[in-house]
Amino acid sequence: MSENELLEEILKNLQAINTKLDRIVGKKESFSEPEKEDITDSLDIMTLLSLPDHLRTTATTLFEIGPATAEEVSKVTFKERAVESNYLNQLVRMEHVEKYREGRKIYFRIREK
Amino acid sequence: MTFTLAVHSSKGGTGKTSIAVNLAAAYAQDGKNVCLLDVDIRGPSLCSIFKPETYFWVNDLLSGKRGINDTIHDVSDEFGTEGKFFVGYSNPDINEIREIARKDRNWQSTALRNLISGKKELASKNIDIIIFDTSPGVKYESINAVAASDLVLIVHNSSAACDNCTDQLIQGIYSPLNKQCAIVDNMYHQNVLETPDEKKFGIDVVARIPCMCNVATRNREILTLAEPEHVFSKSIYSAKEKIDRRYR
Repeated sequence: MSENELLEEILKNLQAINTKLDRIVGKKESFSEPEKEDITDSLDIMTLLSLPDHLRTTATTLFEIGPATAEEVSKVTFKERAVESNYLNQLVRMEHVEKYREGRKIYFRIREK
Repeated sequence: MTFTLAVHSSKGGTGKTSIAVNLAAAYAQDGKNVCLLDVDIRGPSLCSIFKPETYFWVNDLLSGKRGINDTIHDVSDEFGTEGKFFVGYSNPDINEIREIARKDRNWQSTALRNLISGKKELASKNIDIIIFDTSPGVKYESINAVAASDLVLIVHNSSAACDNCTDQLIQGIYSPLNKQCAIVDNMYHQNVLETPDEKKFGIDVVARIPCMCNVATRNREILTLAEPEHVFSKSIYSAKEKIDRRYR
């Protein structure tokens, strides 16, 4: 087998591996879809109870006072504004809370489906 | 400032509704403006006691179809209470109960928000006391009511099953939600004249009510109004005073 033929054979094999990998990745993505749907449900009380203590306090406060800034939440929880901002953004990433801007202020509220 | 109580228990048949109704009436009789809400939407009880004429129910409040004003009814004149006495009923229609049983997490999440909004509106209308009569155990409606309350009044009887489940509720629900709790030992079989335990599961016992058949046979009356000198009524008035002194 010449050097060229060998390189062609390697290339062919690599393409076959690539195709198989794409198929595996595709399957994995389609498997994870139902979980994603689950996460995007509204935050209910049973899910809230399963959150870690610090996030549960923040989420409970948001339920109680309604849409609020990190500063407004921090006044209820007696934590630093920056700390609450961090927790609220964690809840946003978990898709339990949504964030929106009104003028210069950033507000957070429990996500509605 | 408005104070909200959720009357809850780990098991059914502990006397939650009797305690909730009589406590609400006791507050109203003492001149407080009271709103009693039946959030046991899978097993409504208050409609059996008050015989309501209503088009809108607590179900409509929770689902966001109606505001709190449309779902509560003034019964102060009927019972002659000093303060205002409002009651909100759950719909006893079996079709409605079946519908409720099918509701998902999103509905329950909205229901909690609507319950909290209703509570805030009652606060703006000078209601002093809100009492939620809940369903037993870990059901969405009950835990939503617990989450929306300032104090959980745990109605407890002395069975071993009730003991175990109450302990679990305290550890797994009330504590994680940072709720204040108080216990009513209801249908107590031992000698109530003995020195009472001040605490159970580390929680204050605010009433120990002996088991009395004539409380069960008079369950269509509100004893705190009909017979304030009855042992049951006196226990409720005493619990009310302890709650006011320790938790409000």
